[in-house]
Amino acid sequence: MVSHAAQVPTSFGRELRVCLRCALVKTYDQFKDSGCENCQFFNMDKDHDRVLECTTPNFAGVISCMDPTSSWAARWLRISKFVPGCYALTVTGELSEEMQAICEDNKVRYVPRS
Amino acid sequence: MAKSSKHYDDDDEAEEVDEEEAEAEEVEEEEEEPEEEEEELEEEEDEEEEERSRKRKFKGSQFIDDVAEEDEDEDDEEEVAPRKRKHRRGSEFIDDTAAVASDEEEEEEDEEEDFIDHGNEIVEEGDSRRSHHRPMLPRDDQEGDVEDLEKFIQQRYGRQEYEEYDEAETTEVEQQALLPSVKDPKLWMVKCLLGHEREAAICMMQKYIDCEAQNQPMLIKSAVALDHLKGYLYIESDKEAYVKQACRGMRMIYSQKVTLVPIKEMTDVLSVEKKSVEIDQNTWIRVKTGIYKGDLAKVVDVDHVRQRAQIKLIPRIDLQALAAKLEGRDDMKKRPKPAPRSISIQEVKDLRIPVDRKRDGATGEFFDYFGGLMFKDGYFYKNVSLKTIDAKGIEPSLDELQKFQKPGEDGLEAMGLPPAAARTRGQFMKGDTVVVAEGDLRNLMGIVEKVDDDSVFIRPKNKDLKGTLTFKDRQLRKFFKTGDHVKVIAGKHEGATGMIVKIKNYVITLLSDTTREDIDVFSSNIVESSEITSGITKLGDYELHDLVALDQSTVGVIVRVEKDGFQILKGTPERAEVVPVKPRDIRRKLFEKNLRSQDRDMNVVSIKDIVRVSEGHYKGKEGPIEHIHRGILFIHDRRHLENGGFLCVRARACLALGGSHRGFERPVSACTMFMTKDPSRVSYGLVVIAGNFPRGRGGFRRDDGVVGRTVKVRMGPFKGYRGRVVDATDSTVRIELESQMKVVTGACDPSVGHQLDSFLLLESPRYGAGSETPMHPSRTPMHHPAYTKDYPGTPFHEGMRTPMRDRAWNPHTPMTPFRSNEWDEANPSTWDSHTSTPQYQPETPSGRPFEAPTPGAGWVSTPGASFSEAGTPTEPASSFAAPSPYLPGTPGGPPMTPGITSYLPGTPGGQPMTPGTGALDPTSPAIGSLEPESRWGLPDIVVTVRKPGEDAQLGIIKESMPDGSWRVALGTSGAGNMITVTESEMELVLPKKTDKVKIVSGEFRGCAGKLMGIDGADGIVKLDDTLDIKILDMSSLGKVAT
Repeated sequence: MVSHAAQVPTSFGRELRVCLRCALVKTYDQFKDSGCENCQFFNMDKDHDRVLECTTPNFAGVISCMDPTSSWAARWLRISKFVPGCYALTVTGELSEEMQAICEDNKVRYVPRS
Repeated sequence: MAKSSKHYDDDDEAEEVDEEEAEAEEVEEEEEEPEEEEEELEEEEDEEEEERSRKRKFKGSQFIDDVAEEDEDEDDEEEVAPRKRKHRRGSEFIDDTAAVASDEEEEEEDEEEDFIDHGNEIVEEGDSRRSHHRPMLPRDDQEGDVEDLEKFIQQRYGRQEYEEYDEAETTEVEQQALLPSVKDPKLWMVKCLLGHEREAAICMMQKYIDCEAQNQPMLIKSAVALDHLKGYLYIESDKEAYVKQACRGMRMIYSQKVTLVPIKEMTDVLSVEKKSVEIDQNTWIRVKTGIYKGDLAKVVDVDHVRQRAQIKLIPRIDLQALAAKLEGRDDMKKRPKPAPRSISIQEVKDLRIPVDRKRDGATGEFFDYFGGLMFKDGYFYKNVSLKTIDAKGIEPSLDELQKFQKPGEDGLEAMGLPPAAARTRGQFMKGDTVVVAEGDLRNLMGIVEKVDDDSVFIRPKNKDLKGTLTFKDRQLRKFFKTGDHVKVIAGKHEGATGMIVKIKNYVITLLSDTTREDIDVFSSNIVESSEITSGITKLGDYELHDLVALDQSTVGVIVRVEKDGFQILKGTPERAEVVPVKPRDIRRKLFEKNLRSQDRDMNVVSIKDIVRVSEGHYKGKEGPIEHIHRGILFIHDRRHLENGGFLCVRARACLALGGSHRGFERPVSACTMFMTKDPSRVSYGLVVIAGNFPRGRGGFRRDDGVVGRTVKVRMGPFKGYRGRVVDATDSTVRIELESQMKVVTGACDPSVGHQLDSFLLLESPRYGAGSETPMHPSRTPMHHPAYTKDYPGTPFHEGMRTPMRDRAWNPHTPMTPFRSNEWDEANPSTWDSHTSTPQYQPETPSGRPFEAPTPGAGWVSTPGASFSEAGTPTEPASSFAAPSPYLPGTPGGPPMTPGITSYLPGTPGGQPMTPGTGALDPTSPAIGSLEPESRWGLPDIVVTVRKPGEDAQLGIIKESMPDGSWRVALGTSGAGNMITVTESEMELVLPKKTDKVKIVSGEFRGCAGKLMGIDGADGIVKLDDTLDIKILDMSSLGKVAT
């Protein structure tokens, strides 16, 4: 039972996308099917267009974070509060205004990762 | 109980790995005491850590507030204190429910799923981190706290609620505060299969989850795969052993060698350089493959999901080949890569290639399809994979950009040049003023002190900041103010200097010192400099402002010299057509040949003359003429801001003005009239009748073909004479007359051009002052109406004076050859029209061509009218052949010819010293002109004496002086004072019928006689000696005092 961890990407190629808010790396289909584990409020699983809006294929580096709370790397990358999973080291791009507003509505401060 | 148990299990696992930990399990039951003991042992270490973290937290002031500090303190206590306290602490700071929840450990099971630490408050970060640390460190020597820890952990995470997104979660903690410490897990580097780094990291995650599910958790914290580091994987863990354990069984990881990453280098591992420029719309990219390899393209649309993009290219299509292929006659020849060029659909259709025009579904725009390719506006639209294009470090050259530029668009902004492309390495130099462009110190200004590779040391301008700061060069950009004087150090404008007039982000607009034009440059390409240079003004054989030929019919002026080419203003009047041209495309430089042209009012204009454009697009512009080419003028107007101030206009659209034409405008009407309407235009040039004489437009070229030929003089005083050409230049010939044993020089062509030329030259002070002038006397009476403006007293005779003509014809004073030549060349039409003038009569039968009315000249009504009767050339005429430097620019003043009787231009009156007329007599041999000794004065004849500034008086010549002047007794009867008068100061008095006369010129000079009658300009004279009746020109008769 590992429900706390994010889905592990099912491929390693260009299908990978990154959540613009939390840098979680998954495939497009995974985002589509189950959304982002850290950013449920985007409701990507319900609104598939959101996947494109909230994720980007432009990222560099992958970190598999097994234990975000104790990992220095996770802390350094500001993902220590997120679920264990695969994250991107850097993300290019920012959330759109609209999506940023959604963050705000959900009382989540959005700090661009780029 | 997943999470908590997991952590618990973690410990268990650790124990298995660590031998020492075997004991721990036993001690586990005794809880409190060992823990306390342990904690005490740990105390020191903790304090140390505490201090460190406090420091850290001070740094990140936003992050930690006082409460947090307190919390920290509490934590300390809590470690020593019994568990009760922990709870109390929790309830104090955290919400009650959480506290309650953790009180009842049974309930933890319910919350286990919420282990995720999202909801953690900031204050807890330190805590939670340490809470994870602590169990690790003491584990070796002390195990009793495991259960306690479990509870502790439960308590921590039990409080978390998933949905509780804390504001502070992504707080802008200064990254510095997160620097790794000795307490943190370490990074280990392992080798992995090349190209499978990412896969390895992701598999590691999967393995972790799988292992966890099997209750055999791995003790690694994270696995990092860097895109740029091939063949290596980083694993974060406390111990090397854990790393090896984790890697066991992973086929793409080679864990034989595990390298520890030094703490200092840990951040470097994770500080990945940002991914190269994101490919977006309007990004400039270069194609990596295919025939377009290396070509610049613009992204039209990009689909990141499918990783494809639509790009716009300059097509490299061989339409001929395509057409051939479509017609099934593909010759399969290997063709070279077609050059990129824009394609017009019409052209395609002309080749009968079927073109489909379809609307693109997505964008709704129309595209033309042919040959399976998509085109629009001459560009080729191509769908490519993002992998086949390169968007990194694209620095499009201006030429490339221009091809993409629509006519309407302007400037670099429109080209969508990313600022990143504007940055170049090594752009900074000591002393540059820079601004921090990114990072915490953004907008900080400083001065560069030192540049070391890509690190730049700057001295901040902020007075609160002391010392030198170091930046990467990409973090800085140069700072300039409007008005700074700068020099361009890179790019196509390299070397140019100018003043900044506009700053827009990275693009700076300069006002160039040389061309006075705006130049757009990148801020990275300029440095501050007080130097004023012209930039490059020379490239190859060509220099700035040269007139060059581009092809047979196109000429242009180089208006800008660039690094590897020129901007050339084409010679298309009224249009500013500037083309970039490579040196090899220039045919040749056109050398100045002192060309001339005519302006609107037929004034001759030449290089450097100042003209004003009087009509057309450039109306009002004025400036000196820089180049003349076939009736087109290149004018340099300093106030014209385009093309280096050059403009190209038709000569006919201009009006000459300025200093070189002063005084010219007044006679304009007269001369215009003269030139265009005067029917009596007559030329005096030698015209050759020898067969097949080569007659170019410009007359004779200096070629040997002419020399040696026998010619016949068609006009002028030598009219009818035959001779042999001994020398020929462009415009003159020297002819050895058969009958005279003399060599004379003459214009080789009907000298209309020459004559006009002379006229104009006389008008021009620039020539008047020079020695050329005497060689250009006007030889026709028609001239003087214009030019005698300066000599109002003698409106007619000036122009007719023999001396000028004689000089002109004098073999020893050849005419300035190039004058007439230029004239001819510059005004072929003029030339032609003049030659065809009916008045131009080579065979003028009568000896008085000037009887023809000269409109406006008042010729006939003057006393001089009588002289128009062709007479025998008189001696006086020849006397003027003496090299008297006739200076038209000195009106009224006697010419300074020392030693020789000067000829005063201001001679009024109609005494027969209008040798011009005489000379015009075809029958007159004009030999006299070659006898420098001869004078016209004779004793006893009556003359009118005109001394400058005095009234005219009659006088009688008494005797000759050795210097060529005469002693004259004033008074009608010679009773007055004796004065000395030069010949130029006296004039013959017109004799009346029955007056006794003396003949002053011609073969009968010196003979006395009686004027029997007057017939027009001729006088009938009965010679005293022979009693012969002679008909002589009135101008050759001097009245003898009675």
